[in-house]
Amino acid sequence: MEDEAYTDINGNPISLDCQKHCSFCREFTVSSPKMSIGKVMGYTCAVWLAAYAVFFITANTAVLTGAILFTLLGMMLHIHLVKVDHESVLVIGSLGIQVSSSYASGRETSTFIEMSQVKDVVINEAIYMHQIIYYLCILLKDPSAPDDVSRVVPLFQSSRPRLNCLVKVYKSCQEILSNC
Amino acid sequence: MGNRRRAAAFSHATQAVSGPTAETIKTAGRKHSICMVSDFFYPNMGGVESHIYLLSQCLIEKGHKVVVVTHAYGHRKGVRYLTNGLKVYYLPLQVMYNQSTTTTFFHSMPLLRCVFVRERITVVHSHSSFSAMAHDALFHAKTMGLNTVFTDHSLFGFADVSSVLTNKLLTVSLCDTNHIVCVSYTSKENTVLRAALDPEIVSVIPNAVEHGDFTPDPSQRNNDRITIVVISRLVYRKGIDLLSGIIPELCLKHPDLHFLIGGEGPKRLVLEEVREKYQLHDRVRLLGPLEHKDVRGVLVQGHIFLNTSLTEAFCMAIVEGASCGLQVVSTRVGGIPEVLPEDLITLCEPTVQSLCAGLETVIARQRSGSVSTPASVHARVRNLYTWRNVAERTEKVYDRVCGEEVLPLDRRLRRLRTHCGPVAGSIFAFVAVLDFLFLLFLQWWLPDRLMDLAADASGPFGLWRQEASESKSKAPSKRGGQ
Repeated sequence: MEDEAYTDINGNPISLDCQKHCSFCREFTVSSPKMSIGKVMGYTCAVWLAAYAVFFITANTAVLTGAILFTLLGMMLHIHLVKVDHESVLVIGSLGIQVSSSYASGRETSTFIEMSQVKDVVINEAIYMHQIIYYLCILLKDPSAPDDVSRVVPLFQSSRPRLNCLVKVYKSCQEILSNC
Repeated sequence: MGNRRRAAAFSHATQAVSGPTAETIKTAGRKHSICMVSDFFYPNMGGVESHIYLLSQCLIEKGHKVVVVTHAYGHRKGVRYLTNGLKVYYLPLQVMYNQSTTTTFFHSMPLLRCVFVRERITVVHSHSSFSAMAHDALFHAKTMGLNTVFTDHSLFGFADVSSVLTNKLLTVSLCDTNHIVCVSYTSKENTVLRAALDPEIVSVIPNAVEHGDFTPDPSQRNNDRITIVVISRLVYRKGIDLLSGIIPELCLKHPDLHFLIGGEGPKRLVLEEVREKYQLHDRVRLLGPLEHKDVRGVLVQGHIFLNTSLTEAFCMAIVEGASCGLQVVSTRVGGIPEVLPEDLITLCEPTVQSLCAGLETVIARQRSGSVSTPASVHARVRNLYTWRNVAERTEKVYDRVCGEEVLPLDRRLRRLRTHCGPVAGSIFAFVAVLDFLFLLFLQWWLPDRLMDLAADASGPFGLWRQEASESKSKAPSKRGGQ
């Protein structure tokens, strides 16, 4: 069902997978490309070369040990805490929305938002670093004050797809939300 | 001289800005995408802020797309929408002094470029020479090849160090700007001299007043006494020291004279001292800071409006006062003599004696009942300055600017070096080259094609207007569906 090529806001290709489980249940998964071996090699080489240069001047082997430990630890933390492979949003009409993301290390986090808390799903604009981007977010409401927005939950925070991708997800979400 | 200038101002009030050229006619009727840039915008209050807002509203009404860019005010950051789909970007830039941002010439470039590209801006319109962001935007817009317009809202001196420096910056900033707008003929003279400009590219478009908001209401007046209203910020520039000299002198002579003073500022202490010293607590009321919506309620209580400004490019307050049907007494400074016809205003020199003499004549006239009625004064003023007229004339400036070419880099550098002196010219030519290189870097780092174009809220393809007209026709069915 994929026919358009999507990219994130920096121009890297991403893929969007829409699954229709039934008429009121849909899942959208945005996958970023896997970590490339070239990039890992590049960073590792850079750190090791710098460490070797320091070692060359100071003749202290602890620098080299430190560099090896640093790269290993850095890589582990990166795949465990930073690098997200898939981000998915599962919308089930009348029940709620589940937002989950799976990291490169295999760790998964997910949160579930009850439909009674969901006010709407909208596309909003924000200033992010040195650009102005569109993002998709869920507006939450407090059951005691149903007309106010109590909190905003941004979706696809790590992959940051561009507008054409967001519009597609938005339209499907609205189809389900308007029916319940 | 003053008379001639004033006469010219009135004939121009209904006329075009300048003789339309062939290019203007060709581009007339085209819809522009305008980006208003200034450090000063709501929630900050003041003349520039309301000027930008009301002008934008009238331009949107005429079918143009308007976007406002300003810096973040506290928690107000990001993108907001105001009435009729006026989109406001509150960019997170550091505020330095008096709500003006710092300028490094470069750090605002990525965000401003982002706004210009995603909104498909054709004309960049900067406001106020006090605003660093406005100058930055002009600089970057010229680097990006966009047409630029600048509106100057204030008068400046030539003598002290700070004004010498600001004037130099203004020269640099305006020497390759396509068109400059001033609010009065005095302001035009001032700007042309300060920035060493060709007067041909400077237009005069006065400010306007929402006359619907300022209608007279004589029933609010207390006719047992005569009330003088003063509404201004209580700062040195507004001549509050003169006011503190006038109050005791006139209050001693006229026991039925009352003062009503609205506004806040450091000079409030001076007025409180005067009130204390002469025991005038029941006759001089200090109202403190006023919101814009409350101004009319204060104005209609008075008989005479007093303005003691020491410098003023175009005084909105006296037009508002006259619009509420008050007799206006003002100092003869800056652009004030151009603003109102002679029989609606009493002009005095900026000294206590002259202002007292002026007020005495008006008080005598008020007592004898030989003044024109508030309604007739309002009727005369209401057609002098309207925002629609301002928008029409600004539109003509845009039409003219769009027909002009933006200087390419080599000619821009030559212009900078010939117009701004060898030292400053060379420095800023260097900065312009750096800015250009920075633009090339940004275009490589984040190409234009990666930026999502923003959905238009106003303008020919404005979603806001379509929605509004749709909801108007479909309102009942839509409500039923929900």
